[in-house]
Amino acid sequence: MGTDTQGVVDAAVHPRMLTSQQIYDYLRQPYSGLVYNSPNRFFHPTPTGIPPFGEWLEQSRPDGEVVTTSAGTYTAREPGSVPARTHEYLRANGVSQAVLNPTLRGLVPAADQGSAICSAYNEWQAATWLQDESDGLRFLGTIRVNPMDPEGAVAEIERWADHPRMVQVGVPLESHHPYGQRYYLAIWKAAVAHGLPVAVKAEGGVGVEYFPTMTGMPRTHIEFSALHRDRFFFHLASFIAEGTFDRFPDLRIVFADGGFDMLTPAMWRMDMDWPITRTEVPWVKQVPSDYLRQHVRFVTNRLEGPPDSEPETVVEWARRTDAAHLLVYGSGYPVWSSARPDQILPALDDEDRDRILWGNAHELYASRLAATR
Amino acid sequence: MTSSHSVRSTPTSHVVGRVDDLPPGSSTFVPVGKFGVGVYNVGGEFRAVTNYCPHRGGPLCVGRRYPVIEPSEPYQFEVSGEDEILKCPWHGWEFDLRDGVSEVGTKRIRMHRVRVEDGLVILEGV
Repeated sequence: MGTDTQGVVDAAVHPRMLTSQQIYDYLRQPYSGLVYNSPNRFFHPTPTGIPPFGEWLEQSRPDGEVVTTSAGTYTAREPGSVPARTHEYLRANGVSQAVLNPTLRGLVPAADQGSAICSAYNEWQAATWLQDESDGLRFLGTIRVNPMDPEGAVAEIERWADHPRMVQVGVPLESHHPYGQRYYLAIWKAAVAHGLPVAVKAEGGVGVEYFPTMTGMPRTHIEFSALHRDRFFFHLASFIAEGTFDRFPDLRIVFADGGFDMLTPAMWRMDMDWPITRTEVPWVKQVPSDYLRQHVRFVTNRLEGPPDSEPETVVEWARRTDAAHLLVYGSGYPVWSSARPDQILPALDDEDRDRILWGNAHELYASRLAATR
Repeated sequence: MTSSHSVRSTPTSHVVGRVDDLPPGSSTFVPVGKFGVGVYNVGGEFRAVTNYCPHRGGPLCVGRRYPVIEPSEPYQFEVSGEDEILKCPWHGWEFDLRDGVSEVGTKRIRMHRVRVEDGLVILEGV
């Protein structure tokens, strides 16, 4: 057993379109005639600070590459948009399979346009990156759906569910209601019906979503970076309290952008409150934290948890938080804070690291991965 | 206590009252032991409970009685019984008066034997 033979699974790679105009190849009227302000809609200046793309790893920045797609030929402009550069990064990490989850930059006011944008990104994935078959490295896709339009989201899932490379449904972290609420039930039902996990991903943009903190818009990047992932827990608490996991025993939720470091203390609170409030939610039949192993995974992030300089604390905290079962490695490439496998909990033993680097992902995507072989 | 009966309180048994005065759903409180004991008529059977919540030590017998809210499907409420649950006034922990076990987890309230003799309710062992 080991990553040498198995290959790392990278559960969070964020492919980007070659230019800000490429999306129009995949939009139809009337949406191809509407302005869509993407893809650099992000207002908290990132610390790498290399303009104009400081939000992204410098090695992901195109250098005049020309890429031909079935829809046209482009000179790549956007960081993270050149598959060959992504290959290079992933190969150096020993990755054999990478789950693509594009960044859509948050909600737009018109729900139908939002759904059209999701469709466009799905078509683009299928027509470009998912066609990419290179030695020992396989891309898998995410069916992006618009949570503001559950009916459209279900239709989009049905449209792509049989695609052999689509392995999960994707929704943004920045929704207008907590995800356990009944507004969304049809989306989760469709995902479960097709054996697709649901990835909840921070879009890091400012569309028409709510403020990234409960007290308003933070002024600085450090506040945004440190705190915006707290919203994962609002969704998780909602999934548990609303009985979504009891309703759908096979529903799997992947929180795909860090936030794991606050999970355990937050669950302590929920576990403490459950005996007192059980009569409010009699459908919650287990201690809240008991739902985690069955239903919830978190993608790794190197900007959290105890510092690696304290390996004993790292190991102890990983044990207490069930990290070996709940974490799934994802680099986050090409975001500036992308993490290589060797940067993920180096203090853990090989067995636990193997679970995080590929074992848990194989369990999560097992049925889909088997179908793609 | 009424003196027309032959039963008397002893150091370890206490005449709580007349059965006729404690119909189903009613309760009374006996100031004995360290915390006092609540005596409840649950569907015709008597239960005696130490006035101490095993969660955080709250005065359990100040709490109200509720029907059982059963585990159910999402968004459904299934209510059964009438007054089998005693809920602590401090943090809302629920205990089933029939067996003394908490509705969540395995906490257990301290219960005492109650017998009925000669039309009287008698609390024992406190």
